[in-house]
Amino acid sequence: MNKTKYLLVSFLIGLTSVWTGCGGGGTDNTGENSSGSTAGKVSKGVIAYSPLTLSNPFFKVIGDSLSAAAKEHGYETTMLDPNEDVKTQSDQIDDVIAKQVTAIVLVPCNRISIGPAIKAANKAGIPVFTVDAQCAAEGVEIISHVGTDNFQGGELAGKAMIEALGENGGKVLVLDHKIANSCVLRVQGFKKVLEPHLKSGKIKIVAELPSGGNRTDSYKATADQLQAHSDLAGVFAINDPGALGAYTAIEEAGRQESIKIIGFDGQKEGKIAIKEGKVYADPIQFPRKMGVQIVEKIVSHLAGEEVEKTVLIPTSLYKKADAEKDPELQ
Amino acid sequence: MNLKKTLSDYGTILVLILLGLGFSIVTIEEQWPTGNKAAKSLLQDVISTRPANGSNVLVLVRQGGDGKAFADALASESVAAGLNVLQIAVTQPVGARKALISIGQSGNSLPFIFADRHMANFCNEQLPRLSTQHPSLSTARVFTPSSHKWPNFLKKENLLNILKQISVVAIIAIGMTMIIITAGIDLSVGSLIAFSGVITALVIQSVGGGTPTTTHLFLGAFSGIIACGLIGMFTGGMVTAFGIPAFIVTLGVMFVARGMSFILADSDPVLVANPDFGWLGRGELLGLPNTVLLMALLFILAHLLMTRTSVGRYIYAVGGNPEAARLSGVPVKWVLVFVYTLCGVLAGLGGVMEASLHVTGDPKAGNMLELQVIAAVVVGGTSLAGGQGRIFGTLVGALIIGVIRNGMNLTGVEAHMQSVVYGVVILIAVLVDRLKAKIR
Repeated sequence: MNKTKYLLVSFLIGLTSVWTGCGGGGTDNTGENSSGSTAGKVSKGVIAYSPLTLSNPFFKVIGDSLSAAAKEHGYETTMLDPNEDVKTQSDQIDDVIAKQVTAIVLVPCNRISIGPAIKAANKAGIPVFTVDAQCAAEGVEIISHVGTDNFQGGELAGKAMIEALGENGGKVLVLDHKIANSCVLRVQGFKKVLEPHLKSGKIKIVAELPSGGNRTDSYKATADQLQAHSDLAGVFAINDPGALGAYTAIEEAGRQESIKIIGFDGQKEGKIAIKEGKVYADPIQFPRKMGVQIVEKIVSHLAGEEVEKTVLIPTSLYKKADAEKDPELQ
Repeated sequence: MNLKKTLSDYGTILVLILLGLGFSIVTIEEQWPTGNKAAKSLLQDVISTRPANGSNVLVLVRQGGDGKAFADALASESVAAGLNVLQIAVTQPVGARKALISIGQSGNSLPFIFADRHMANFCNEQLPRLSTQHPSLSTARVFTPSSHKWPNFLKKENLLNILKQISVVAIIAIGMTMIIITAGIDLSVGSLIAFSGVITALVIQSVGGGTPTTTHLFLGAFSGIIACGLIGMFTGGMVTAFGIPAFIVTLGVMFVARGMSFILADSDPVLVANPDFGWLGRGELLGLPNTVLLMALLFILAHLLMTRTSVGRYIYAVGGNPEAARLSGVPVKWVLVFVYTLCGVLAGLGGVMEASLHVTGDPKAGNMLELQVIAAVVVGGTSLAGGQGRIFGTLVGALIIGVIRNGMNLTGVEAHMQSVVYGVVILIAVLVDRLKAKIR
């Protein structure tokens, strides 16, 4: 009997300590995750931010700049991490609706399945904004979207590819990610710029393979294509992990001198690779601007102003010379 | 022995209560009441402190939720108090601005604005600016019901959210509990959720075309559930006929079902073109979510099955000692096929619920969900060694995991820390299971 009691008590203590642990975690995180109200100023409300995942630095940067800008306007920010799962994201939206937040900012984990959750927020009267990726579900009300002009970014990538291949042109591999609409647009922009060269046969796209948006899949796809085409001259990957995965395969084959890589995003790892000459160029996105602009949209919506439905921030091309001047990489 | 069992049952319930109390304390926050009572007390406060008879009033409430009802209550209380309601605006901020400007332009005096918290915030910010252009607004004062402190965790909507969110995991955990009692395991349930959802959506699409009727929706849902039931039966057959460990069979089925879901759906979510399909996942009956009612019903049925019928006794017997069970005339193989089939059917049902929630069959649905299901069963006190476990223990297990998840979301614990906490909870639960076995 005594032993059982002892066990039960230790189980309880275990679980309660788990709870205290996470309660503590919550308080510890407030500094980082939610910008508390400034002294003497009462918080005007909470903005909930739910990106694909916070483990991708890109979304973390958007979140940090969003939370800093929100703080200036007197709002707190709660950052949620659905870990790329739309069910988790829906559940989290339900949670913050119950919490009666002021506004919800989403990067939809699935452009269609997230619809009903957004409708629930609409029904509760909580304004919903999207950032980076848009929602394609029917009958939902999105106050405003702030994202990257991915088609324009693709065009820049195409220009960079033409420049990198030079006079002779050559065979190009495209590493795409068709699940994400943003990546589809990048490839479309890329192909549009390449079109005259594709027609003349100077440049040839030998394959468009799924990159999974990650290093592993891109590495495998590139390694296979290196076997198939001994004269491959260029790779366009729809993001930085894709470009770096491709580089690993090319380096393994010892062909980094003859194959030029164009990436996308301009994450820190991508910028470093550009500085080291592993990647030729990246059209870079501006996550900080996105965070700031989405807060501007929220604030003007709450002030009763009409806001633009869609704001697309153009990318700019980032090459080795830019990387050498970049204070972020010093 | 009995006492021990009761103690360990109450143990998990006690943990649940402690968790609830803990999260209640850490989520106490300012709440802003709405509704009839709040409207009445606001009007009383205002009239008792200042002369108001015949004054103009603007009622300003944010659109959505119970906004309309609150605005109506404020308006009728104002009329009852002898005030003159100029306008009732239930609107987004854009409309609120327009309402204020139109009153400002009319030049009417506006001593009172009755607003909810959101619109009070709006007025406090915007009125000073607006009154420079429209001087008649400069005398306007905003009143909103006073706030009180109450834990976000204990709000009715939040508690219902927890139940709603655990419903899929808990329902599948019924089948998983039975399988684990027979000393087996089923890793395929997460993939079956996707498979069922995709089959359901595809069947609805192919028989119903662009305008599926309710009959088509039911037909789709049944196809999804039956398909998963057949897969469960196949699993059970492989386990019994060839004696392959359930871990391996279900691992294989997990990959096959996931891959098939993506192939059938062509890697993209399959839309259901009739919004009524959301009835199961998002609908309500008597103020309770349908999924929660379904979960309660299934738990009662499963409890009766396990405690009142010979099938239930067979399941325990097979898990306790299969050889002894066989010798005493228990149809061991049929019992095993039954539990795997049932688990498949419940996973199929979970898939339909999940698809209904999103009105979409998503091949990515239910990713890693099998682990949450197993965690709920284990935390609920069912022994992985077989022969022991309670259906209601599993419900408590699912609730504990759901409460921890919800509480961590409310307090803003980041995802990786959440994952660590789940892991620790499962380890503690298994440890307790081991220690219990040792004592015996």
